[in-house]
Amino acid sequence: MKNRALNLISPVAFLVIWELLVALGALDRRFFPAPSETLARLLELLQNGELTTATVITLRRMAVGFVLAAVPAVVIGLLMGANRMARIILGPLITALYPVPKIALVPMVVILLGIGETSKVAIVAISVFFLVVIHTMAGVLNVEQRYFDIARNNGARPWDLLTTVAIPASLPNILTGINLALGFALTVIVGTELLLPQGGLGALIWKSYNVYDIPTIFAGLIVVALLGWAFTVIMGEVERQLLPWRVADAAPARRRLQDEPRLRRFVRTWWLAVRPFSFTASVTPVVLGSVLAAYDGAWSWLLFAITLVGSVSIHAGTNLINDFYDWKKGTDTPESLGPNRALKEGILTPQQVFWGGVFFFALGSGLGLYLVATRGLLILYLGIFSVLAGWFYTAGPAAFAYIGMGEIVVFIFMGPVMIMGSYFVQMQSVNWNVFLVSIPIGLLVACILHANNMRDIEDDRANNKRTLANLLGRKASRWEYYVLIGGSYLTLVLLVLFGVAPPFVLLALLTLPKAAGLMRTAAVHEAPARLNKVIRGTADLHERFGWLMIAGILAAMVAQVV
Amino acid sequence: MAIIETAALTKVFPGPDRREINALGPVDLTVEAGEFICIVGPSGCGKSTLLRILAGLEQPTQGTMTAEATDLQRPFNSMVFQGDSTFPWLTVHANVEYGLRVRGVPYRERDEIAARMLRTVGLSGYAEAYPYQLSGGMRQRVALARALANDPEVLLMDEPFGALDAQNRALLQDELLYIWDQTGDSAGGGARKTILFVTHSIDEALVLGDRVLVMTAAPGRIKAEIRAPFARPRRTHELKRDPVFGELSYQIWEALRDEVDAARASELRGQR
Repeated sequence: MKNRALNLISPVAFLVIWELLVALGALDRRFFPAPSETLARLLELLQNGELTTATVITLRRMAVGFVLAAVPAVVIGLLMGANRMARIILGPLITALYPVPKIALVPMVVILLGIGETSKVAIVAISVFFLVVIHTMAGVLNVEQRYFDIARNNGARPWDLLTTVAIPASLPNILTGINLALGFALTVIVGTELLLPQGGLGALIWKSYNVYDIPTIFAGLIVVALLGWAFTVIMGEVERQLLPWRVADAAPARRRLQDEPRLRRFVRTWWLAVRPFSFTASVTPVVLGSVLAAYDGAWSWLLFAITLVGSVSIHAGTNLINDFYDWKKGTDTPESLGPNRALKEGILTPQQVFWGGVFFFALGSGLGLYLVATRGLLILYLGIFSVLAGWFYTAGPAAFAYIGMGEIVVFIFMGPVMIMGSYFVQMQSVNWNVFLVSIPIGLLVACILHANNMRDIEDDRANNKRTLANLLGRKASRWEYYVLIGGSYLTLVLLVLFGVAPPFVLLALLTLPKAAGLMRTAAVHEAPARLNKVIRGTADLHERFGWLMIAGILAAMVAQVV
Repeated sequence: MAIIETAALTKVFPGPDRREINALGPVDLTVEAGEFICIVGPSGCGKSTLLRILAGLEQPTQGTMTAEATDLQRPFNSMVFQGDSTFPWLTVHANVEYGLRVRGVPYRERDEIAARMLRTVGLSGYAEAYPYQLSGGMRQRVALARALANDPEVLLMDEPFGALDAQNRALLQDELLYIWDQTGDSAGGGARKTILFVTHSIDEALVLGDRVLVMTAAPGRIKAEIRAPFARPRRTHELKRDPVFGELSYQIWEALRDEVDAARASELRGQR
């Protein structure tokens, strides 16, 4: 952990020395612009859209070429790994072509396909193809024979051997191939754009060189480096999601909070206390609403940041206050002490937790009031309604949560209200389309709550807490679960069919297998331990579904620009 | 009733320089339904090959094998492999229900069977864990549960506890005996499972089996057969105090010793 700070020393020192040398006149400003100058140019290019356009063009070429190549590459790689004949026939060709420097193919590709987009996409596709084929094949070949024996002894047929052994066992290798191919594709496309400068980051760099605009060259290089870094981070996350069984280095033993140095302890203590892992429930709708506005043509980073930080602050405040009240009620049973580790380890006193909550509420309200002042009264109304809903959720004689209204309230406020609010902040208006798009997210949030209620059917009944789940009974509440999940997918498809949302949001359908798994588990089990998994799984589903919708809208924007 | 019978079973593998390696046999073996048979023999004598032939993973070069399946609805055999044989990419639960899944048993049914098997081997709390999170002994129990979930007529076990430390080994032996007794109850579907258990350990063979077969050095044939006359249910650590146990253990070692020497001599020849 400490190393992370040490990691920064060399790059920061490098930049500082560079800046100083320029300031002292030791480096010629015309050839080596100071980092501050490059940064200023970067922001300028972002503002006038030049850099964004170039990045989008480069990314689009990469994405198209990548998808065109990676899919057949995986199929061919699997075939070559699994089948000796295919390996003998295709192997020599692949091994012969693999080491050819792909950038050297540009002239031939241009002769064949012209100098348009097609040839640039083709170059990316060629670069990706070989890496993925070779890694996939190696992956299958490296699967230990005994796994196939075990599978066959258990009754697996050839198709099962492929789907239940060869593919999952070689997935780590396939992903490594894809990871390498992404980095390679970036190198090759930027190189190609240098040779054929028609749009894209490479062209931007080349054109800037021609007019001796050195800061722009550096700005372009920075974006390329950031893209490469982003791919690595994204692939790391993809691997973690797809390969949960492969935690190479076990998580280091958690250090007790007391043992941390003081400043780190302060930050980490509060970080844990606000329970950041619950934030996706509020982050997802805010991002979705804001991105929808961007899709419709209105975007401000500042407003987005304020909306996001404001919502997260309110969420953090809510978590802290809830923990405080849980603690108050649970004084006699230390085990029932909520999930707040800081409170549990005795680092924070309950009073500190309470005042922390007040602080975050104040911060959130302050940011909210800024939005009210600059963007209009609608935000105030939404805010007041939300606070009231939050308050009467568990308090008062007719608390929503106790009369079977929990799902509806959560649906409205964590779905449409948050999404339309964030949209309004950017756009200064709302429309029915935004409401419609927010429905799937709202249904899934309601579904998380319902999964909770399904687990607590018996307890809640004993406590006279009436939830929809215990009013309906075990069987019908399962149907409610199916309806909420199914409803969100159905709405999504209808949104696209009726042209309310761009087809790209169908990306969220990628979560269908997970949803099917959850419904199956919910269909069979009553044990709280199993249903706990359903709750966590549903929250996970909501998060992934939301982010895939967001990714879909971003993809639609990219498609529009080009 | 004989459930498995082999006659003059041999296996020849192609070796380097177009030579042939006689790995096994001829083996004549009769296994009665419900018997627990242990097979000991020196390293490389073809014990595992014999088991793999019985499992259908390998074809014999010569000789015949007849298997008398009584119930065509159930898989005839399931094997517990040597070393770690869990699928690392599946959770414990998914590992146990693997055989049921590829055979198309409906979700609800296989889920229930897998949960029951995990209870049987004492791993209920680890259903959603991945194998890398378990110890070697726990993984071996997962492999056992997977074989049991198939509900085969014959259980083939290839040195399943070979890689475990002595304590874990003793515990799992007791557990295996207990589970085997359970399957013999009327609740477990009537007849006890037939088990063929390959091991290096003479003590393990005596503790577990009804009969202990001693194999010769490669190509392995059955050299001797010793009955383990101890009453069931057995407690492994108490059995070892029985003077008969010591005597039988000595007899098996006497039969095995020449073969181990022979195996070692041929290994040395191979080096030169």
